[in-house]
Amino acid sequence: MNRYIKLVNFEFNRFLKIYLVLIGITIASQILGAIIRSNQYLNDMNDLLYEQLMTREAALEQLGKISFYHITQTVWFMGPIAICIVTLLIYMFFIWYRDWFGKNTFIYRLLMLPTARINVYFAKATTILLMVFGLVAIQLLMLPVGRRVLQWMIPVDFRVDQTIREILTSFDYLMILFPSTFYEFVIHYAIGFAVVLVVFTAILFERSFRWKGIVFGLIFGAFAVTIFIFPVIVQAFILPEFFYPIELFALECIAGLVVVSLSIWTSNYLLKKKIRV
Amino acid sequence: MSVTFNNRDPVYIQVIRHFKEQIATGRLEPGQEISSRRELANKLKINPNTAQRAYKEMEEQGLIFTERNLPSRITRDEHVLNAVREELILEAVDSFVTSIHAINVPLSEVLDLVKEKYENKSED
Amino acid sequence: MIEVKDVKKRFGRKEVLKGVSFTAEKGEITCLIGINGVGKTTIMNAIVALTPINSGQILIDGEELHKGSYEKITFIPDAITMLPQMRIIDAMQFMDDFYDCWNEKRAEEILSFFKLDKQERIANLSKGNTAKVNLLLGLAMDVDYILMDEPFSGIDIFSREQIAEVFTSHLIEDRGVIITTHEINDIEHLIDKVVLLNEGYVLKEFSTEEIRENEGKSVIDVMREVYQS
Repeated sequence: MNRYIKLVNFEFNRFLKIYLVLIGITIASQILGAIIRSNQYLNDMNDLLYEQLMTREAALEQLGKISFYHITQTVWFMGPIAICIVTLLIYMFFIWYRDWFGKNTFIYRLLMLPTARINVYFAKATTILLMVFGLVAIQLLMLPVGRRVLQWMIPVDFRVDQTIREILTSFDYLMILFPSTFYEFVIHYAIGFAVVLVVFTAILFERSFRWKGIVFGLIFGAFAVTIFIFPVIVQAFILPEFFYPIELFALECIAGLVVVSLSIWTSNYLLKKKIRV
Repeated sequence: MSVTFNNRDPVYIQVIRHFKEQIATGRLEPGQEISSRRELANKLKINPNTAQRAYKEMEEQGLIFTERNLPSRITRDEHVLNAVREELILEAVDSFVTSIHAINVPLSEVLDLVKEKYENKSED
Repeated sequence: MIEVKDVKKRFGRKEVLKGVSFTAEKGEITCLIGINGVGKTTIMNAIVALTPINSGQILIDGEELHKGSYEKITFIPDAITMLPQMRIIDAMQFMDDFYDCWNEKRAEEILSFFKLDKQERIANLSKGNTAKVNLLLGLAMDVDYILMDEPFSGIDIFSREQIAEVFTSHLIEDRGVIITTHEINDIEHLIDKVVLLNEGYVLKEFSTEEIRENEGKSVIDVMREVYQS
């Protein structure tokens, strides 16, 4: 347990620089985006009012009021989120492969630690999870910041102030990252975590059996997906409307647990018996 | 202290021979303290087990002795010391005779030459 | 004692170990020599469970390797096992964090013996110094067995001399050491035992002093006989 925590700390620090850069990009880009988008709105509005000499009502009629929703639609706002997601997806693979490749042979060290090798797997998974939560938290904090920028720049008559909840619900993609109930939050992130574990297991298949391992890994992935969606398939095609929603949910939880346990068990076996440097 | 070892004789025997030479020439004096096994291995760049073996063998031959936990010392036993000297002289003479024998030179001629060379060497 | 018993290993269709057996005692330096093939490194990896074997058994003091064994046996591969961005002191800290058997005092001693500056980054070290740090990380552990893969290859002559000196010192004493090499010249007088490998077989296993004493042969004489017949 102790060594597991040290490993998490170590893995986290290894990625810290890039992680801080990601956070920096997100903060800078989203604040800049709020300023630029607000500025653009002001220019458009000034154009209508002072060049085209429209009345205030007519101008508002044509341009509408600005809200934070408009800011979330810009590449300044969405771009960093996409970059963070893509980076973490890549890092999910890189966190393993970096130990095998390069001049050093760090994987030798990791596999020769006097602790169960599965702790290396857990530590890497935990690191990914912590980083995801970290970025999600930063994103959540950035919403009121962006809203405040908007309020500073746009007079109250020209804007619609939204609550954080309104911002989140007005935007589909954010709903995935920030579900409105705690219930959904747990489900979304549990699925995400299960995906990380399954991908890790597939990577370990590849690292154990190389080319053949890629095939095993893909089969394992397909198998995991099949188990997970099995209750839904039964509900949709075999026994239509057979389960109550709460029953289906319970079945999904069980399926998820099966997938996670299977991944951990398989990874433990591969790390103990099959892995090679 | 640097010794060149050959690869075909057991290293421990070469170590013992090295000690005998040192004793015979007086570079190691009777009763003198000698290095520990580990120091010897380090100085001669040999395996510590080999150094250990050489010391054990020398102890058995009475060349060195160890009292309690003190460092080992060269023996003070006159008989052993003389025997070492004699052994080395005999060995040298033997190998000399063998090579001279092979060239088939008369003894008187050889002895004169030996005398001349030996005296020249001493003057150097 | 490390016992390697009838170990077989295939990579794809190629069988690299075809039933290898030998033993290595504690307190002795055992040298695996092979003039070609990948067998030597594979055996080392197999002993510390860094590669699976297809059949056979490997025992360390009578038991199979488990996670606790890494406090008792360590492997020094031919490339450094730490990250290039680490300083030497970070690598030492890492070892201290994860191993109970890490001996800080000895680590400091080896640092000064090798004249290494612990603030230096691993990425900036010369080849010789990288090899020395790699060695340091293994030697400063209070383990019973140390495996070293080609500790002398690809480094300058002075580093080689320094590393050879390690083998005659208290850093090695009382431990069991297995080293691999394809060049015996530098270390002929340092080793207790030789295991000659070829094409996945053990051709001969002998004690160096015994072969000199009983047959008047050097290690290279034996190699010549065995490999050329």
